[in-house]
Formats: sequence, C-alpha cells, structure tokens
Amino acid sequence: MIEETVNALLRKKYVFIIILAVVFTIPSFASDNATENGIVVHARDTFYQPDHFELKKAERLFYGLIPISEGAKACADCHYTTYTDTLNWNPSAYDIAGTFAGRPIEDMLRVINNPSGNKMTEDHSGYEITEEQAILLQAYLEKLHQEGKPPHKPKRTNLIVFILINIIGIAATIDLFFTRKIPFRIIHLILILGASVYIMRVVIIEAITVGRQENYAPQQPIKFSHKVHAGNNQIDCEYCHNLAERSKSAGIPPAGLCLNCHTLVREGTRSGKFEIAKIHKAVESMTPIEWVKVHNLPDYVFFSHAQHVNAGKLECAECHGPVDEMDVIYQYTDLSMGWCLDCHRTRKVDFENNVYYSDLFEKYHNQMKEGVIDSVLVMDIGGTNCMKCHY
Amino acid sequence: MKKLWTSLDETTNRPANPVSRMNPKKATESALENFFDDSLMQADTSRRDFLKIFGFSIASAAVVASCEQPVRKAIPYLIRPEEITPGKANFYASTFYDGIDYCSILIKVRDGRPIKIEGNDLSPVTFGGTSARVQASVLDLYDDARYKSPSVKGQETEWENIDNQIIEKLNTLTEQGKEIILITPTLISPSTREAIKDFSKVFPGVRHIQYDTVSASGMLDANEKTFGTRVIPSYHFDKAEVIVSFSADFLGTWLSPVEFTRQYSQSRSLTNGQKKLSRHIQFESGLSLTGSNADLRIPIKSSEEKIILANLYNTVASGMRRTTYPCPESTVEVGELAKELIRYHGRSLIVSGSNDPEIQLIVNALNVMLDNYSNTIDLDLPLLHRQGNDREMAALVNSPADQAPGAIILYDVNPIYDYPQSKALKKLLKQCELTVSLSSHKNETAEVSDFICPDHHYLESWNDAEIKPGTLSLTQPGIRPLFNSRQAQESLLKWSGNNISYYDYLKNYWEKHFFSKSKIINFTTFWNTSVHDGVFEYKTSPAKFSVKITGELLGKVFRRFQEKEEDFELNLYKKVSIGNGKHANNPWLQELPDPVTRATWDNYLCISPADAINLNLKTGDRVIISERMILPVLVQPGQAKGTLSAALGYGRTQAGRVAEGVGQNVAEFIQTENGTRLYVVPKVKISKAEGTYPLALTQTHHSMEGRAIVRGASLNEYLKNSSAGNEMHGETEKHNTTLYKQHSYPGHHWGMVIDLNKCVGCSACLVACSAENNVPVVGKKEVLRAHEMHWIRIDRYYEGNPENPITYRQPVMCQHCDNAPCENVCPVAATNHSDEGINQMAYNRCIGTRYCNNNCPYKVRRFNWFDYTTADAFKNNTVDTTGMTLDLSRMVLNPDVTVRAKGVIEKCSLCVQRIQERKLNAKLENRVLEDGEIKTACQQACPAEAIVFGDTNDPESRVSKLFEDPRNYHLLEELHTLPSVGYLTKIYNRDDEDIM
Repeated sequence: MIEETVNALLRKKYVFIIILAVVFTIPSFASDNATENGIVVHARDTFYQPDHFELKKAERLFYGLIPISEGAKACADCHYTTYTDTLNWNPSAYDIAGTFAGRPIEDMLRVINNPSGNKMTEDHSGYEITEEQAILLQAYLEKLHQEGKPPHKPKRTNLIVFILINIIGIAATIDLFFTRKIPFRIIHLILILGASVYIMRVVIIEAITVGRQENYAPQQPIKFSHKVHAGNNQIDCEYCHNLAERSKSAGIPPAGLCLNCHTLVREGTRSGKFEIAKIHKAVESMTPIEWVKVHNLPDYVFFSHAQHVNAGKLECAECHGPVDEMDVIYQYTDLSMGWCLDCHRTRKVDFENNVYYSDLFEKYHNQMKEGVIDSVLVMDIGGTNCMKCHY
Repeated sequence: MKKLWTSLDETTNRPANPVSRMNPKKATESALENFFDDSLMQADTSRRDFLKIFGFSIASAAVVASCEQPVRKAIPYLIRPEEITPGKANFYASTFYDGIDYCSILIKVRDGRPIKIEGNDLSPVTFGGTSARVQASVLDLYDDARYKSPSVKGQETEWENIDNQIIEKLNTLTEQGKEIILITPTLISPSTREAIKDFSKVFPGVRHIQYDTVSASGMLDANEKTFGTRVIPSYHFDKAEVIVSFSADFLGTWLSPVEFTRQYSQSRSLTNGQKKLSRHIQFESGLSLTGSNADLRIPIKSSEEKIILANLYNTVASGMRRTTYPCPESTVEVGELAKELIRYHGRSLIVSGSNDPEIQLIVNALNVMLDNYSNTIDLDLPLLHRQGNDREMAALVNSPADQAPGAIILYDVNPIYDYPQSKALKKLLKQCELTVSLSSHKNETAEVSDFICPDHHYLESWNDAEIKPGTLSLTQPGIRPLFNSRQAQESLLKWSGNNISYYDYLKNYWEKHFFSKSKIINFTTFWNTSVHDGVFEYKTSPAKFSVKITGELLGKVFRRFQEKEEDFELNLYKKVSIGNGKHANNPWLQELPDPVTRATWDNYLCISPADAINLNLKTGDRVIISERMILPVLVQPGQAKGTLSAALGYGRTQAGRVAEGVGQNVAEFIQTENGTRLYVVPKVKISKAEGTYPLALTQTHHSMEGRAIVRGASLNEYLKNSSAGNEMHGETEKHNTTLYKQHSYPGHHWGMVIDLNKCVGCSACLVACSAENNVPVVGKKEVLRAHEMHWIRIDRYYEGNPENPITYRQPVMCQHCDNAPCENVCPVAATNHSDEGINQMAYNRCIGTRYCNNNCPYKVRRFNWFDYTTADAFKNNTVDTTGMTLDLSRMVLNPDVTVRAKGVIEKCSLCVQRIQERKLNAKLENRVLEDGEIKTACQQACPAEAIVFGDTNDPESRVSKLFEDPRNYHLLEELHTLPSVGYLTKIYNRDDEDIM
C-alpha cells in the first residue's frame, strides 16, 4: 500500500518536488512583540570626558567586579543593563542614566549615600561611595545614555526549529530521488511525513493567530501595576477608565487623573519614587506619556465600550480577565471574531428593563408573554449581523 | 411612461428594438429548474466551504511570511479638556463664508480633528442646508497647498521679521502720502470691518476695495437707481407662485443658493397635504441646474434677454393699463406669461442673473409693477454678501503708471487668476512698493506678491458674519491652527499697533455692539449662547427706500437694444462644484460630476446639438475659441442655438497639485462695459482644432436603457389622480409574491424615501456622503475608465426634443433590496442581509469577485481597483491620484468607517455608523429611539429636505407614511427586488402642450 503510494508519487515526482519545495520554503516566524519603552534618548554635551581606562574601571564598578563597599550588591544587580522578560521593579540602568544625564555629581552622591524614600533607603543602605566613584559611575551612566538602549531582539527558537525541520524534509526528499544515501525508503517517508505534518501544523497555527495577540504583555513606559491599583487598593476600573460608560474607547486615563492621588502618593512599595516621578515629569514638561496599546482590534472592526459596559452591563473582567491580579497588563482573550460571536450567541439582552426595546420587537414581547421564550439573546436582535461591527 | 434618453447618440441613432424580448414566464421556469437541479445543494461540503479553505490556505501562505505585529501607541491627554470625550464627536456651531457663499454650519470634531460639516438648523437663513462646496470645505483645511509659514519673496521667515518689514514700509508710504489699497471680497463680518477701520485710522492712506469675483455690481447699480439703496434684496421663492428667471441659476450658484433651494423645494412640495405647486419658467442659453428643474424652459440667446424682458414689461404694462415704451419685437411669445404674471401679481417673482444694470432695471420695474416688493422680495432685509463695485476695481487696474498706489494688500482674493485684465493687474502689483497677500491657500496672486502672511483656514478662525441686517452668526474654530499661520484680521490689527488676539477683539466688538440688542442680561451668558447656537438675531429698523422708477429712466433703458447677431455668444457660467475656482484644489469637488453635464475634472465648451451637427463637432472634439484658447466640446442638449457656454473656475496655474492643469481659465473672456463685468461674450468664433480630448463623463456609464425609472405626471393629472404616472406601482404590488424565504425584521427595518419633486440635483449629498463614508477620490483617468466611487449618484435623464429637452433627475444609491440580487451571488457571503433590512457589506470578507457588482440592477456597487487612501498593509497597492494618501489629507477620514483596501466592493450602507450611534445613545439614555433622530449624511446635507430616512416597521414614522403615498414607487420594482428606498414621483406644473 505504502509502496504503491510512493511509486505513484514517484511517477509524478516533478509535481511532488514542486509541492514539497513550496511547502518547505514558507518561512514562519513566531510573532514576538518587541517593544521599546518609549524613552527618547537625547545626545548632550559631556562635561567630563573620561579616558578608556577610567571607563573600564567605571564599568567594573557598576557590575560589582570592583566592589563599592564590603558585601554590597552590584549596581547592575538591581539596575539591569539587559532586556528581561520578567518585571523588574527597579529602574533599569538606562532609566537611571537618563535621569542623571546632565545632573551634577552631588545628586549622585546624595541619592546613593543619603537616599530619600523608604524603598531606596532600604535598598541603598550600606552603600557609601566616594566622590571619585560617583564621578566614575556618572561617566559610565553617561556612556550608557549616549549609546541608548539596544533594541531588544526576540529569540526566534521556533524559527530555527522550523528551518531545521524544513532542511531535514528537503534533504530527505533529495536523498529519496537523487542521492539515495539512506538504504530504506521507509526512513525517507517517515522523515518527509513527519516534517510535513510539523510544517503544516506550524503554518496553520501561525495563520490562525495572524493579527491576534493573546497574552501580549508589552513593557510600558511606566511600570504601572493594575494589581496594586485595582487589586490591593480596590480602585474601581471606571475611576480611571471612566469613558467606558459613554464612549467607544474606555480611555487611557490622562496623566492629570493619576495626579488626583499621586500628588500625595509619591512613592510605591516596590517601585520607590522612580516610576511615580515619571508622571510628574510628564505633566511638568508637557510631554504626553506614550503607553503601548495592548488590546488592538483590526481597523475594520467597530467596538464600543459604552455598548458593552453600559447598555450590555458586562463586567470588565469578562473580557479583560483578572486585571486585579496583573502586575503587567496582558491580553487575556484572543479577541477573535469567534470569541465575540460566542458571546453574542449566548448572552441575554436587558430586554425588559431598557425602555429602548419597549417599542420594538413586538414578536418577542408576545412570545415572552405567552411563555414561549424567557429571554432575548443578543443574536435575536441582530447581534450576529456583519454590520453590527463591520462598517 | 415616456421614452427617456440618456445620451445624444441614443436619440439620433436609436436601435429599432433596443431590448430583445424574452418570454418572461419561460425564462423563470428554466431558471427554477436549474436551481432545483443543482446538486450542490445536497453536497456535504458546500462551494462556500471549499472557497473558504482554498482562500485561507493561500492567504496564510502569503501572510504568514514575516508578520510582526506593529507596536501601537495609545497616547492620552495630559490633562483632558472637560468637554472632550475621546471616541465621541463634538459639534461646534460655526459659519462658512468664502466671499461668495454663506452657510451656517456645525463642525463635527472628532478627537480634535474637524472631519465633517453639517448644516446648522438654528440658522434662519440656511435652515440646516448645505451645499457641495460647504461640505467639501473641510478638506481644504487639510490641503497640502496651504501656506505653512509667512514668507518674504519666496523665503520663509518669522512673523516678527515680516511684521517689522511691513510696518516700516507702511509707515514710509503713509509719510509719503501714498495710497494703500486693501482688496477684499465683500465683507459681511462687522468686526472685520471694524478692524479695517482701525487699520485705516493708523494708516490714513488706506482705501478699501471690495472685489466680488462673482460680480453683482450691475444689479446693485440698478437697485441704487430704482430704490436709492445699493443693496441686493432678499428673495422668497417659497412665497412666489410664478417664478420667472432670466439666466439666474438660483438653485446652483446665484446669490444664496442654499437658502433659495430650501424655499424653492418648499414651494414644490406635495407631501404634507399640499396641493399647490409653484410654476417656474426659465429663460436661459446654457442648460443650468435651475433651468433643468424648471417647469418650462425657453432657450434664448443672452443678447435677446433684454428684448424679451422689455416685451414682457410692455405686455404686462398694457395688461395693467400702465405706460408702455417702444421696443423691438421679441422672438419669444410672452403674452401667456404676462397674463399669468398679472393673475399672480404680488405672488410672482422675476429674477435675472445678468450683470447688466439695464436688464436688472427692467426686472425691478416689472417686480414693482407686479407688486412683488415686500411680498416675494424683501428690501428691508437685504443680502449683504454682494457689495462690490466693479468700477472701483476697474479704475484701480487701469490707473496710470504715475498714480499707482504705494501698497496693495490682498485679503482672500485672487484677482490675478479671476480678473479679466490680469496682465495689467500684474504690472500694477509690480509697480507697488509693497504687495502683501493674506491668503491661506496657494494662489496665483499670492505667488506674485512680495509678502505672504498666511491666514488661518476658516475652521481655525474666530469671526462673525452678518448675512442680512440683524441676522448674525459666529465662526468658531474647530481645531488649533495646523501651520504657522495667523488670522488676517489679527495681522491688520498688529500692523496698526494693536496686539490683541482676534478672539478678544471680536468678543469686545460683540459686547459693544450686539449685547445691548439681546434680552440676555449677562454678557458672558449672551456670548456663550451665541457661540453655542452659532447664530444671533435681532430686530433692525427697516431700511428706508423709495421707488424711483420714472418714465424717463425706463425710456432711457428702452432705447438701447442689441442687434441680432449671427455669431456665437459665449456664456461664462459657474459650476455647482468648482464655482469661481477658489476651492479648485479640492479633489472632492473636482470629482463631483456636474449635475447637468455629468462631467468631472474639466471645463469644456457646451454647444447645442444643432450647431454641433452644422459644424460637424462631437463631444470630445477640440475647438479654438476666437483664436485665443482651445477647449474640448461637449454637445449639450438644451443649449440655445448660437450660444456656447464655458465654466469659470478652471485652469488654475498656482493652486496645488489637484487643480493645476485641470481645464482652461476662461476669465480672460469676461467683458467690461461701463466698468461693469459682463459674463456674456458676443461675437465669438470657433473652429475645429486637431485631435480629441477625453472628457470624464459619468452618465454614459449608467444608462438605464429607457425603462420607467423616473416617473412623473403633470400637476393637473396628479390632482385628478394622485397616483398619476405611477400606475405601474399598483400593478407590481399586485404581483407581490415570492418563492424565496422572506427575511424577518423583528426590530427596525430601515427605509428611505426621496422626493423627486424636491430634489434639485445640487449634489451636496454626494460630497457629504464622500466625507462621511471615506469614499475615495480616483482621479480623472480612473473616472474615464468608469471607476468612480461615489456611493450616491444623481442620474440625469432627458426627454423630448434635444434642442430643449425636459430633464429628470434621480439620486441613486444602494436600494437595500429585501430580495437583493447581489447577496445570493457572493461566494463568500461578504454581502448579506441584516435583521434591520440593510444590505450589509463586510469589506474584510470580500475577495473581490465582483459578482455582486455584475448582478446589481442599479449599478450602485463600487470596486476598489486600487488602494486610494492607504488602507492596505501592502504599500505597493497604493495609488495616489489626488494626494489623498498624505497624512495631512488623511486627517479628514471618519474614524468610525473602515478605509477600504484594494480589491473590495463597497457601496452605500445607509450610514450604518450613524444608525448604530443613535441606537446606542437611545439605549444608554434608556429611552425610545425617536423617528427622525437618525439622519443619514445625504439627508443631513440636503438643503431641499428631499430625503427622508426612518424605520418602516414603525407605522407612525415619516418614511412609513411616505411609503403609503400614492406617489411612492421603487426603482425597477418590476424585478421584485423589493428595495427599501422609495421615490416619490416628479410632478411638474405644466401641461404637455406647453412644451415647445
């Protein structure tokens, strides 16, 4: 049976080769969302030009190869210089480099030797740096600042595996028809079949998830934690996202709204003063905060928060998930059309309470009176019509 | 139903039997057999499934390759202004006035960007109506050809620098005692007049000249002679039962078309139990929008206008036993008309569009004799937007070299382009020591001025307008200035040493002059109310005028009559779309088909069919006009024999990439007689030139093969039988049965009714639709290939004699058929029926087979042959025909409507975004959706109120009631497509024997 199939394929081998070649050469890339946290780096004039030796020394000081003081952690242990996919509450080396850029040495000395705020006092306790060290550190940070944060390149493990399996598949095909190094055809078959199945699977999964970003959790310009605000402090979602009731967009809160609390609350338990200070800086310098949009719908979809939150009486968490447990906000659902429709097909409409329906849908009113139906679903009032969302 | 024809070829070369006859019964049977025989119906995998899988695998193969999601930013306000809700539009009352047309408007501002103009229904002048140019003006704001910063001799500079230089020069000129000329259009802004007064106090040499590009100087002269006041009266077309117009295109371009269209359509309404129609008689040479709506249209040569009017005067006068004056006999019999006018005296109205003071004098005398003043004509409340005196401008241009003024400041005018003696003017500008242009957009005059001080666009400015005494409206900005511009008035104030912002100046002016006239006690409240409403009215004491028509005066007028001429006469007219050419760089207007000729992107020479045959000319041939200019010919039915027409406003040379090179500038043909500009050119010779020129006409693409598409009857027939002309509707209704499973509409069922009696064809709806629905502009080349994208078109049909046909018009958009032929041919179900009766279109599902397009009997579906507005991720699909892919132009896009990509079909959605918005508002406010609350964009823009939209499931709604009207019918209803759009028959006030 297998023999027959292979022979049949061999007879049409050119067709077969072309098909395989097409399938194998479709490259696939895991769509990984690289993000920059939006800090703009400006070049500036340096006031102190250290030589190469001094810079090396400064770098070692920062990485703790030359200990600052006995038993203390290195700067880089908290202030990362590399990309991390977990949340580090401390400002990265580049963040502090941006902060100290152009500031006098005294500031550096003061921050490390006499830190303000609980978090920093705790973290920096036991550090005592000399002026010379401060100058070196400042110079190193200046270097980081000038270089700017290297762009984060996502690791493409999937892609490497994909290409590898492609190569195996192609090699097996070539060997089957031309080189014939492997004596048993069954091995070729297994390899080709296995490779094809894997490739098709990857292609299908990738195709389905094109444009979808489930679990997308980009780094934000401010390490804002929904867990702290909505979870620990029990702030209502609509205190900040107060447009959800009346507009299509729920509204990213304006920085001014943050200041309602953060004029007084100037320090976070885990982030210290650094992150909150960014809000004040933004307002003072009149530069808006460029948040990274997490929930992206395609251009051809109309979605209204007001419709769902206000008219539909949905809870935020039904779509956005346990936001009160998220330190870093991520996309909880895949926001696919199938997901939308699943809900539109099963959810009941606030039919009897909303006056809007009182004049309409006579049929349903009668059926309800007669007891034929006990509720009206979204799909009954046109919830699955294309032009509900696409126009 | 009478045979209608769509193009001239059809009348001259009509096939004997155009539609091959089929046996309808047989055809249906065989179709049904095939349908039930279709094994696909029983197949496990449907054709649609196959295509889905097929399409998906191809698409995935193509798209999977290197797709990285772009990082999108969400940038909130730092401090959100209280009145702004991101995602929701705000409306600000404002005023459109461009020196030619006036309109009170609302600016729809979405997330800080003005994206749409709507009519302000609080206005006592425009009543919520708009025109095509008003609708399109929002795109002018995002015009790349705007001046982006002040410049001196082509070099960009700072305001401070330019101010210093100008003030210095002005001071020197003042010391030298030289004249400083300020040329503006007629100003209707009281505060601007005040600012100019302030300016001339500091610089006493200032002389203000009001230059109307569309001159009404002759009319003003005549009114001055007859009434002692140099004003243009208000007209009440709604009160007139007989309207006689001599080449006045009052529905399209004459004086105040938005106002007049509303009045006119009111007098043409038969919907609210009205049983009366006004009777409209039009004498004109070229077929105008107004003429094509007339009950009776008489093609005349413009040179005969005076003789006909004189004869009409004499006949009326002898009928009313008044003095007559000798005059030559007219070629047109006016006896009947005179009788009619006498019968309706006090309820008639005679207007003339001529700029010849003597013609206007006879018109005035006629109106006085017929007692029309203070009945249908109101001199107490004159229209203030034409005050220019042609003689002032003529004197300036012809001033001798040694008396040239020291400085010329040009505000919002472009005489180098639109003044006939532009060469002399250019020379004069060169002689001046200081030439300053205060234009916002690139234009020919500014380009030859030394200093360019760019003005804001009106959507960025504060201003006021007094269109009639006591009828004020405010202009308020909808956006911060986009460029480094400064309001012109502020510039003038600055140069006169006043550093006040114009907003403060305006507010102070209103406090001083108008606050006392309101009943509101507190100024802040008064100001806020006025800004909010956009309009403010107060009672003025009626102007004093006395009739000064004397026999001597009339005797003088009746002395001079033009000899009959054999040569051609050229009429220079303005199109509804382009007007005088000021907004020529607006692609929406350039692509707007002219309601009469259905041509886009060009001007051309209209010639009568008879003359065309004599001279062996066809549409598209090129002719040389009086050895001066070459224009393409368009054979225009209804054009009077021996006359030609060409539109002004084309042939811009310095206006931006859209307007430049489109058409020819015919302004040089404008005649000047006794200092008055006349738009009729006598003794024109034409000869055929080599080659042809393609004219992008949209009508020939949409010939409806002479079926009963526009139905109508005369008023007498209608009064006898209210379904006159519409008998077919009853017949078709009787056959109303179906084999298909019918849709159910449990909630709403949207429908629309268009009253063909009210629609005049002004095309405001077209532009409104384009603005609302992001309809792409495709450019002339694509229009030539029948690829224009308008969701609504105004079909125009002719009937009868090509030399003077009867014109019918019909706006056609997607009919939202209940049995939509397009729906069942879509292989991917991209177009299907909603539970609210809308034929919906899912762009992202469309794969572009265009089967639906083929199957639509109304030809209302449009295919995106290219990506005209940068919707695609694939950059190579973009075709930028008119600059609409620029980030600046794209700011005008409506964020609630998808920008369609290449390869998808689109069509009218009945403004579903507006329906959804209003429905949601009702739900949020926990209330019933009111009838009339949802207005589609076309309905909102319509000055004639010809479009009614509503829920046909609600028996009390206006649209349901109109569906029951005996005049209602559906387009091609015999096909049993069951459209949701209805038309009300056209009833005209004439009997068929009237037609000559």
